Amino acid sequence: MTDTPLPRPLALLAEVTYRCPLQCPYCSNPLELNQYRDELDTETWVRVFNQAAELGVVQLHLSGGEPLVRRDILDLVRAASGAGLYSNMSTGATVVDGNRLEQLREAGLDHFQVSLLDTLPESNDRLAGAPSFDRKREAVLGAKRLGFPVTLNVVLHRQNLDRIAEVIALAQAWKVDRLELAHTQYTGWAFKNRAALMPTRGQLDRAHAEVERVRAEGTGGVDIQHVLPDYYFERFPKACLQGWGMVSMSVAPDGFVLPCQTAREIPGLEFPNVREHSLEDIWERAPIFQRFRGTGWMPEPCRSCDRREIDFGGCRCQAFLMTGDVTATDPICELSPHHHLVAAALEEAAQNDPPLLYRVMPRAGGAV
Amino acid sequence: MPQPIATPVLAPGTRYRWDKVRNQHQLVFPEGMIVLNEPGQAIVQLCDGRTTDELIAVLKEKYPGAEPAGDVHEFLGHLAKRGLVREGAQRD
Ligand code: SF4
Ligand code: SF4
Repeated sequence: MTDTPLPRPLALLAEVTYRCPLQCPYCSNPLELNQYRDELDTETWVRVFNQAAELGVVQLHLSGGEPLVRRDILDLVRAASGAGLYSNMSTGATVVDGNRLEQLREAGLDHFQVSLLDTLPESNDRLAGAPSFDRKREAVLGAKRLGFPVTLNVVLHRQNLDRIAEVIALAQAWKVDRLELAHTQYTGWAFKNRAALMPTRGQLDRAHAEVERVRAEGTGGVDIQHVLPDYYFERFPKACLQGWGMVSMSVAPDGFVLPCQTAREIPGLEFPNVREHSLEDIWERAPIFQRFRGTGWMPEPCRSCDRREIDFGGCRCQAFLMTGDVTATDPICELSPHHHLVAAALEEAAQNDPPLLYRVMPRAGGAV
Repeated sequence: MPQPIATPVLAPGTRYRWDKVRNQHQLVFPEGMIVLNEPGQAIVQLCDGRTTDELIAVLKEKYPGAEPAGDVHEFLGHLAKRGLVREGAQRD
């Protein structure tokens, strides 16, 4: 036995549904969306939130899919605040009006995060696969009027990165509190679309300079978060969630519990379900939470690397998607024997401009 | 030097919280959290619409012999810089 105490999770990501009226081509949801229609009911989510609070979770992220398509979303928010959790909601904000916003406020929602795809309404609507720009704007302004702290989240990629100055100006005009400039993470649908989404080095350098310029001149009250994409800028990988099973857990719409929301794409892993086990049981005993906790699982070059407790060998999903081996060193790392794959992906993206593949959710009963 | 805050209130979305699992005072906000020490939590819990001077007076009463003014201004300035505390509505 080791005597380091087991860490306790700080954050729970609750993907309450994968249903969504939008079709973002970088969506992190799994590709086989039709397999996940068997959603947890209200009662089970409430139980999960209470168990999460007892386990030590502080921040709850209500996400999806589009969390607002759940009819019981107000009950879920009430349960979260009743359990003492700090509740964040990530939404596309196309199915919310002033009335619903007020109800969410009353139910105790703490923080409202809206995703925007682009500053040009036509481009936003094309990327989302549905007219949505105007509704997003109304939702942001409405949420601000009600006193919500609002974060605007814009996922950046080749097709919108050149408008980063407009993105910042829009965030300022809408008076949001935070702007998250998030470069696409290449998992889920985004991995399929990598060659169409990957920006060029020139685009990234210009975007970076623009953000630095705004920061130097004053951001106008908007807290700007901008993390450069690892494919181009990092010699070492990001510390994905400080490793699996350390600070965070994720519950999928059908109750499966994952150490990371995209882990489901990795075949051969077994995930426990909240229908059968308590969250505490899962956190402490489920093999998938133990297997990658700490540094014991690591292969070389990580095992003997002095950064192993800094980046924990990087992202497991990225390692799997790029190398086929979930225990491999994240290829972003320049010490990885697979590091050449990063250059190859950039090369592929530079040579090609393939069409985007949009997230689709086949109708129930449709093709399996 | 920025003006010291006259009437500190927590920014929207910033919440004081007692974590009974970790036995900790916390200040929680979108995407983050800071752990508060004893004096920190005492200050934060008094950011409720009273003035900074009133807040200091309460602390002096609670901790006789302490001269908290300097620490209070510094701590509030730090929280304000991070956007967690702001100037509340002027009272008359
Ligand atoms: S990324 Fe887009 S498609 Fe995916 S869940 Fe979010 S809003 Fe829906
Ligand atoms: S070898 Fe492993 S631990 Fe070392 S920097 Fe690379 S990914 Fe991190």
